[in-house]
Amino acid sequence: MGEFVLSTLSGIASGAVYGLIGLGLVIIYRATDVVNFALAGMATGALFVASSALGWGWGLAAAIVLAILVSATGGVAVREVLIRPLGSGQLFTALVVTMGVALILDDVLLNVWGGQPRTFPPLIAGDVHIAGAAILYQQLVTVVVAAVAMLGVGYLFTRTPLGSAMRAVAESNDTAELLGVNPHRIARLAWALGMGLAAVGAVLAAPVTGLSIGGFQGALFFAFTGIFLGGLTSMTGAVVGGLVIGVLANWSASYVSANFRDTVVFAVAVAVLLVRPQGLFGQPTFDRV
Amino acid sequence: MKRLFVGTMGAAIAVALAACGSGSDAGSSSGPIEVGSWSPLSGPIAPSGTQTAAGAKAAFDEINAAGGIHGRKINFTTLDNAYDPQQTIQAARKLVGEKKVVAIVAANGTAPTAATFPFVLQQSKVPILFTYGGAAAWYTPPQAGLFGAQTLYEEQGKNIAEWAVSNGAKNIVVVHDDPKAFVNVADSVVAGATAKDSSVQVSKVAVKLSTTDYSPVVAQVKTKKPDAVVLIVPVPEAAAYLKQAKLQGVTAQTYGYAPDADPGLLKLAGDAAEGFHTLSLTKLPTDTSDPAVAAYVAALKKYATDQTPSFYSIYTYAGAKAFAKILEGIDGDITAESIGKAVESAGVIDTGLLPPLSFTSSQHLGTNEVIRLEVKNGAFAADGDFMAPSS
Repeated sequence: MGEFVLSTLSGIASGAVYGLIGLGLVIIYRATDVVNFALAGMATGALFVASSALGWGWGLAAAIVLAILVSATGGVAVREVLIRPLGSGQLFTALVVTMGVALILDDVLLNVWGGQPRTFPPLIAGDVHIAGAAILYQQLVTVVVAAVAMLGVGYLFTRTPLGSAMRAVAESNDTAELLGVNPHRIARLAWALGMGLAAVGAVLAAPVTGLSIGGFQGALFFAFTGIFLGGLTSMTGAVVGGLVIGVLANWSASYVSANFRDTVVFAVAVAVLLVRPQGLFGQPTFDRV
Repeated sequence: MKRLFVGTMGAAIAVALAACGSGSDAGSSSGPIEVGSWSPLSGPIAPSGTQTAAGAKAAFDEINAAGGIHGRKINFTTLDNAYDPQQTIQAARKLVGEKKVVAIVAANGTAPTAATFPFVLQQSKVPILFTYGGAAAWYTPPQAGLFGAQTLYEEQGKNIAEWAVSNGAKNIVVVHDDPKAFVNVADSVVAGATAKDSSVQVSKVAVKLSTTDYSPVVAQVKTKKPDAVVLIVPVPEAAAYLKQAKLQGVTAQTYGYAPDADPGLLKLAGDAAEGFHTLSLTKLPTDTSDPAVAAYVAALKKYATDQTPSFYSIYTYAGAKAFAKILEGIDGDITAESIGKAVESAGVIDTGLLPPLSFTSSQHLGTNEVIRLEVKNGAFAADGDFMAPSS
C-alpha cells in the first residue's frame, strides 16, 4: 500500500511539473507555431539568477518572483530578437534556433555560475506520512500550485478578452489581425506566459531534484511526451498528459522495472497515438489539397 | 609546364607526408618539451573538464617555475574536446601533427580518448598517460604507449563490496543505472561480495539513467530489507537516492564509488549524505595536513586562481607530477619512444597523491588501490590509506 501511495503521489507531483512545462510549450506553440526546445534551459537560467539573489540575501518569495520575471523577459527577448525576424511558417528553422539557444545558454550558465549543482529551498520544508509513505510537503505544494496556475491559465483563456485574443491568434493570425488583434503583442504575451509557467515548474521541481545545468532536460522530455499524448494544441491535454506520464513513469518503475520506465511510458503513449493520432484532447486536423 | 606541375605535386606530397609523419619523430634534446591533453571545456561535462585541465596545468606551471625537466620547460597545451569523440580526434591531430607533442597526459574522458587510439597510439606512436577515465579493455592486453593511474571501476566495485561485507552486511542491494558501464561495476560488486563471504545475499535494482524521482526505487529497496545499499549511479542520482531513502526511513548503510566522492553530492543531499561511504582515487584534496596535498593546494592557488581543490584537479595534478618524474629519469632525448620505455622501467612512482604506481611491460595500469571515505559532519573523511581489494 505504502509503495503504491508513494509511487502515485510522487508521480502526480512530477506530472504536475511536466504539465506546467507542457502548458508553457503549448501556449507558445499555439500562438507562434514555435516548439521551444530552449524552454527548460531558459527556466534553469532564471532559477540560477534566483539562486544568486538568495545568496545576496533576498527572501525566497522575492527570488521566485525574480525567476519568473527573468524567464518571462528572456522568452520575450528570444521571440523578438531571434524568432520574429524569421517570419511566419518557419517551424523547423525556429526549432533549430531554439535548440541553438539552449546549447548556448548552457555554456553561458556554465561560465557564469560554474558547473557545481546547487540546492534550491522548498516553499515549505518537512514531510507528512500518508498510508505508510513519507511525502514531502513540497510535493503536495507542487500539486496545489500547479493546479492553481493551470486554473488561472484556463480562466485567462476562456473568460477574458486577452484570452479570447490569444485563442483567435492561435486559430488564425490573419483573421485575428482583421479583427484588430495585434498578433505580435499576443506572441510576446504568449512567450512571457509560457516561460513564466516553465519557471514556476522549475521552482517547484528544483527543491527535490536540485539545480544543475541541463537538470530539467529530462522534465522537458517527459513534458513533450505529455503534450503529444494529450494533444499538441490542447492546453487541457498538456496538463492531463503530463500527469499521466508522471504517474505512469512511477508505476512502471515500481511494478515493471525502473530499468524499463521509459519503455513502458512510450509504449503506452505510442499505443494511444495509434488509436487517437490527435492525442487524448487534441482536435483532428485536415489539410485541403 | 608539365615539369613544373610534377615538381609542385612532388613538393605537395612531400609536405603532406611530413604532416602525416609518425609522432615518434616528435621531441628533441633541446627547447621546450611539447605535451598535449584534452578535456571537455565546453558542453555538459565541462564542470569536470575545466578542473582536470586546471590541475595538470598547475602542476606543469609549478614544474616550469622550478626550472623544468633537465633545464627544459614543458609547453603544455590542453584543447577542448567537448567530450565528443570526433572533436577529440581533431584535437589529437592538432596536438600530434602541429604541436608535435611527445605525449598526451592527463586527458579527460574514456570514450573520447579511446577514439584517438588508432591515430595517436597505433599510427603516430605517441603515448597516452594517466587519462582521467579508462576501462579494463584498455589494459588487457596492454597496449603500447597506453598507461593508466586510475583504479578501474570494476576494482572499485570489489572494494566497496568487501567494505560492506566487512562492516557486517549480509543482504546487499546494488542500485545501478542501466547502461553497460554501470552494469559491469554492479556485477563486480556482486562478485566481490560473494567472494568475500559466500553466504551474503546480493540483489540488483536497475534504474534508468538520469532518473530524478527515486521514490519508486527506494520503495523497491525497502521491500528487500537490506543492511547495505551500494549505489552505482552519478552524483545527482546518488543524492536523489540518499534524500529519498532518508525520507522513507531506509536505514541501511549506503556505499558509492569514486565518481560519487564529489562536493556536489554533499550539497545536493545535505544531511542525508551523513554516513555515506565512498571511494577516492587520490588523497583527500582538502587535507592540507598532508604535505603533498598542501603543495597541490598551493599550486592551484598560484596557477589556477579560479579553481578550488577538487577530486578532479588533484588527480590530473598528480598525473602530471608522475609524468614529470618519468621524464626526469630519461637520459638523452625525450621522445615519444623514450617516454614509453621509461614508464616501464621507472619502478615505483610515488606522487604522494595517487597510490604508488608501478608499471611493467605486461602491466600498464599502475594501481588498483583506492582510499575509503565516509561522510562525517558534512565532509568527506578518509578511512585509512590506499588499499586494494583482496580478491
